[in-house]
Formats: sequence, structure tokens, C-alpha cells
Amino acid sequence: MKALCWMGSSKVEVHNVSDPTILNPQDAIVKITRTAICGSDLHLYDGFIPTMEEGDILGHEFMGIVEETGKSVTNLQRGDRVVVPFTIACGNCEFCKKKTWSACDNTNPNAHLMEAAYGYSGSGLFGYSHMMGGYAGGQAQYVRVPFANVGPLKIESDLPDEKVLFLSDIFPTGYMAAENAQIQENDTVAVWGCGPVGQFAIASAFMFGAARVIAIDRLPERLELARSIGAITVDYSEEDVSVLTALKDLTGGIGPDSCIDAVGLEAHSAQLQGIYDKVKTALMLETDRPSVLRQAIQSVRKGGTVSIPGVYGGLLDKVPFGAAFGKGITMKMGQTNMHSYMKPLLERIEKGQIDPSYIISHRITLEEAPEMYKVWRDKKQNVTKIVIDPWAA
Amino acid sequence: MSEPLNEKPNAEPLPAAASAGVILNGRYLPPPEDKDGKIWVRTSALIHADAEDLYRMWRDVEAAPLWQEQIERVTRTGDMTSHWVMRSGAKDKGNDKTIEWDSEVLKDEPGRRIAWQSIGGESDNAGEVVFEPSPGGRGTMVTVLQEFRMGKLTSAWETMVGRNPKQAVIENLRHFKALAETGEIPRTQGQPHGPRGMIAGIKKSMYGEETTTPPGLNRKAS
Repeated sequence: MKALCWMGSSKVEVHNVSDPTILNPQDAIVKITRTAICGSDLHLYDGFIPTMEEGDILGHEFMGIVEETGKSVTNLQRGDRVVVPFTIACGNCEFCKKKTWSACDNTNPNAHLMEAAYGYSGSGLFGYSHMMGGYAGGQAQYVRVPFANVGPLKIESDLPDEKVLFLSDIFPTGYMAAENAQIQENDTVAVWGCGPVGQFAIASAFMFGAARVIAIDRLPERLELARSIGAITVDYSEEDVSVLTALKDLTGGIGPDSCIDAVGLEAHSAQLQGIYDKVKTALMLETDRPSVLRQAIQSVRKGGTVSIPGVYGGLLDKVPFGAAFGKGITMKMGQTNMHSYMKPLLERIEKGQIDPSYIISHRITLEEAPEMYKVWRDKKQNVTKIVIDPWAA
Repeated sequence: MSEPLNEKPNAEPLPAAASAGVILNGRYLPPPEDKDGKIWVRTSALIHADAEDLYRMWRDVEAAPLWQEQIERVTRTGDMTSHWVMRSGAKDKGNDKTIEWDSEVLKDEPGRRIAWQSIGGESDNAGEVVFEPSPGGRGTMVTVLQEFRMGKLTSAWETMVGRNPKQAVIENLRHFKALAETGEIPRTQGQPHGPRGMIAGIKKSMYGEETTTPPGLNRKAS
């Protein structure tokens, strides 16, 4: 089959590789009909995530048709149409029983690597480094899906792929970000980053009853999408715009009730601290560039909530913890507990409450993917979301 | 909570603290320290399964190759004794060297505790596993205390698998837990990948893609 392989920092290539096979009794093989490039794939592309190796197959947002099932798979059959969550969960451990699926104890074959680096291991992920399981990803024509009894969501309606594909990661991730933000009726919510996760966080914040959502980014195409679903936008790259002042101005001086950091470890900042973080990460004195997190903590109202769906990978510097303590804020974060959200969000799509395909800007073939990684990383061609048909020529 | 193990796995009596138990008279017991050529490892896992079932799974020594790394076969030689054969090299490298030893169960308390020691052969080891209900009844806490003397067994781990023998004990308990909770052990060996460069080729021995995961055949399905 054809698969998109990580071949080094800023280097991805399409290679012919062997087809996946059933390796464990609860495995399924899925023929992929649509897959997408995630903003978090750009962290891999930029070489920010350790234990990526040459030849690793990328991709954790995908859906398709069940081709084959292992002998212990009972709820899927050949021919079923499924969306597959990017986190792999066993369904039986302490954490799955608590519905914190992304903390599953039993799905990471390389748990010892993550324990060595972080002191704990989370669940295995598709196509996201050996530390996170080393599972081959889904920017390919076929994929092996472990624990197929637990993860894949069957799509029984005739909704097109593009409307349900984002149930694999970014829609549930944006939704959990809004849930973690503990939004009350008529709250004001600020969202940093209007990429796909930010978009769904904005849409979900309104679902939770937010009266006003303030969206912060610098790319006109993203800000326009955010306005199209009802957000007030702040372009932080404009001269004279200070995000902290803007958020005060838009909240009568108290700050947003909830702040959502949908940017994560590679935040850009025009300020001096942006240069500070760039130098420190270049010198390997710091692993992440937390300028959004700093702003979120500084601007959230007293007693408010900071929710972090953006990915962080390591040690952060100059985080204003005094302000966090002084204001008595709540912080909630983490990988998405996918399995809890996919079904209820599918129902919202089926009822027509949201059409997640509105964020798609580019539809491409697998062969075009290497070039589009670069285009999106360099923020060119007004990319908002790239969807791949791995069978298109 | 479990009492200290009084049997002596090796030539000298165990110190009072050298039990797989982690609490004695309400106080936390730290794991024993390595000394005099003895290596100790203590590790624990919270497993959502019945203590009796877990005990039976552990006590079924002939099934140990399903979840213990590098164990080729185990033969029961009596009610309390067994013969162990361990691969001392990676299988796919045409290396069929093995090391062998006999083992004897010293304490056998169904649903609660098993203690054992080697009684000859190419490995000098002793160990204990304790099954206890977790506080509040959230499954079973399984604690393993294993002792090795440096020798062929420890070097087989270190040189061929690239795994410190302490880590091997930790990994085996992880496999045991996965098998008990899910009926399989997560694995990636045999999955597709693109061309590995030189560095990735060397480094992949660190990953599960190369290190052989025990088969963990699905007990529930068989």
C-alpha cells in the first residue's frame, strides 16, 4: 500500500510499504477512505516530538471501511463504515472504567519509554512517535486498528465522509476543551488559536451557552471562519493590538470567564517573550513556547477557568503561577477522552446542529501530502484544513 | 496486608523488609536495596480482575511463556517444582541459545501469595507475588518482589534484549496486567513502516517494534 512516512525533521515522503495485518485478536484492518492532516502533525513535522524515527507512518485522523477483523472482534464486521479515534483504549483498565480513555493503561507497547521521560504513560496513539505507542498511522491506504471493539464508531447513516471524519480527533478535542472550560450560561469565553481545534472549541462554547466568544489569531482566513460562526475576533498581529487590553475592553475590565489555549507548544508571539522562548528552545533550555498559556492565565477573570487542548511536550518557563494562585483559577487539560464524545457529537451532526466540514480548505491526494505539510507549516495558500483521499490518483 | 516472607530465597535469611508487601504495621516499607551482587526489584500494578483468577493465572507456570518475555517453555516437574527454559538471544537473529533452571514454590497461598526460588541451573533467582484487594475494592493490587544474582540470566537480558533485568520484571507485570484485563498484550511487531535509515535501524531495538512481545494468546477467546 501507499503510506506517508516521516523521514526526518521537515521531511515526509510517500512510500510503498507492506499492507498491515491482524496482529492481535481484537485488531481490525480498515481500508481508509478519508484521512486528514492535523495541526499536531505539524509538531512532528517540525521535529518537536521525541522518538519519531525514519520510516514511521503518520496520521491519526482517519475513517474507512472495515476490511478484516480479528477473532475477538465482536461488534464490527467486514464492510462496516467507521470513524476511528486517535487514542487507543482497552475499555477494561482503571482509567477506561473511569472514562478517562486517553489515560488507558494497556495500549502503549512502549509505556516504559514514556515512563522514563514523563514518569507515567498514557494510551497509545496512532502515528504519533514510539513513545506514544509506535502504532503506524492512517495517512495511508490501510491501517491496523487495535482494540477495535472499543474505539471505532460505526456510521450507519449516509452522511458523507467529510461531515463525520473530524469525529476522529478535532471535533471531540474542541468540544472537550469547551467542556473543560466549565462554561456557564451567558459566559464570555476567549479562544487562542482559530485552527481546526479552536474552531470547534468556539462552536462548542456556544453549545454550552456562551454569550460571547472572543477568537484570537493572526491569519485572516482563520479569523474569517471564526466570525462566520459568531465569534468576535482579535488579530494579535495588528499594530497597537494588545491581547490583554483587548480582553479587558471586551469584558468590562474583568477578563473572560474561561480561556481556551488551542495553540500549545509552538505558540508565536510578536512580543519580547516570543524571542526569549525562541532562543531558549533553540538552546534546548526550554522545550515549549508557552506564550499563549501565559496570556490565558494573565487574562482570565478571578476564579475563572483555563482549558488547554493545545499540546505541550515538556518543561515550561516563566509561567505566571503567582497570578494563577492569586486569582484562584482552575486549569483543565489533557489528551481528549475521545470515546466519551464521538457518539453524542455524531448525533449533533446527524441532527444538523453542526456541519464540521466547514473548516476544509484543501482536498488532496496522498502524493500531494508532502508538499502540503510544508505549505500548511509555512501558513501559505490560506490553509485551514487539509483532507486526503488516499486512493485518488 | 501481607506479612514478611520468612523463607529464604537464597543462602541467607531475608531481612524483615524483604517482602513483596509494601506496608508493615501501618508503615510504608521501601524496597530492598541492591547489594553484594544481589539485585532487587519491586513493582506493582492495579489490576481489574479477581485475586483468585490472577493467582491461578500466575500459578499456571506452563502458561508463563504467554506473558513473560524471552521464556521459551516451562515444564511442570512436580506439584511445587518446574523447569524453565529462557531464550538468551533475539529469536529473529538466528540465535537459539537458551539458559535453563529449575524452580520451586516455597509458599503457595491460593488467591493471596506465591513465593519461589531457583533450585539449580543457570539462574539464581527468587521472588514473591502478593495479590491484595485494593483500598476501596478497586480491583486487585499485585505486587512483585524479585531478586536476582548477577549471572547468565541477568546478562541474557542485558546483552540480547537491551533490557535491564529490573525493567524486565516491570514489563512482565505490565504484560500480565494487559493479558488479565484485556485478553491480549499490545504489540506493534510486524506492522508496516517505510524505509528505516541507519540511525532509525539502530534505535528501533529500543522499541516494541523490535523487542519481542510475548504472544499473550487470548485466554478468553481460546
